[in-house]
Amino acid sequence: MLVEQEVIEKARAGDPSAFNQMVLAYRKRVLGTISRLIGRPEDVEDVAQEVFVRLYYSLDQLRTAEVFEPWLYRLTVNASYDYLRRIRRRGESRMADLSEQQVMMADSLAGGKKQAEEQQKSKVRELVDALFQHMSEEDRLLLTLKEVEGLSLKELEQIYNVKENALKVRLFRARQRVLKAYQTAVADGKL
Amino acid sequence: MSTEDSGLDDLFQRYRAACPDVEPSATFMPVVWQKIEARRGFWSVFERLARTGMAAAAVLCLLLLALNFVTANQRAAFQSYTDALMADHSAEQTYYTEAIRSTPSGNEVPAALRH
Repeated sequence: MLVEQEVIEKARAGDPSAFNQMVLAYRKRVLGTISRLIGRPEDVEDVAQEVFVRLYYSLDQLRTAEVFEPWLYRLTVNASYDYLRRIRRRGESRMADLSEQQVMMADSLAGGKKQAEEQQKSKVRELVDALFQHMSEEDRLLLTLKEVEGLSLKELEQIYNVKENALKVRLFRARQRVLKAYQTAVADGKL
Repeated sequence: MSTEDSGLDDLFQRYRAACPDVEPSATFMPVVWQKIEARRGFWSVFERLARTGMAAAAVLCLLLLALNFVTANQRAAFQSYTDALMADHSAEQTYYTEAIRSTPSGNEVPAALRH
């Protein structure tokens, strides 16, 4: 844990400085996770702030300080999912925006080597985002948490509050779908 | 694990490395507190409305209870059903009462035809 349990207890009791301490300790991790989950750097901070606002109002529902991290992950996943649903309702295209951002990033980079590296990274991001297009937002988030964030099944079980077997089945199906898309990409020479 | 499986794992690892680290802006914390306060304001309006509604419902409940208690006491003052009937003067206050006919009317069946 990035903060002492005592700090969490104090924040639960309504201590604003303890809450500040928690936000300072976890904001970078939350920002990183959201960045990988939603793929829109310009909105990452906004979603992260929403996570901490939800955390503030739900701290009293936290049973014990030990389950704080899965709790925070759950809030992060839910806020990201709500955000993705909102933009889907608005009919915005993730890929188009990403490409625009990539162009901007490429323009702003000066060095040739750095530019090449960045282009490579952009290509990887674009490819994985394209593979993720073949699945639902729920499965995409789950697979990202498992494969990209590197969370264990035990941690996912705590976050999603479902049995490990059910998670395994869902993960297997999601991975199979991505694998199929990956095989097609390999056959098409995109990799 | 097939080569494609490990290729996919490798791609996920590269994806993790390719996702840029997002640094929080200087206004991150103040904005979090602003949002908390804004939501508190929003919810406090609902809270106040809910409290007012609950108070009004409680007063109404008490009034109904009191009314019920008074009428029950009035009913209990009568010893019996006949006392209650005697005390009830509502029939005397009605403006319309049907006339009681002492003589048979013309369209009644004659006594000779009754059997």
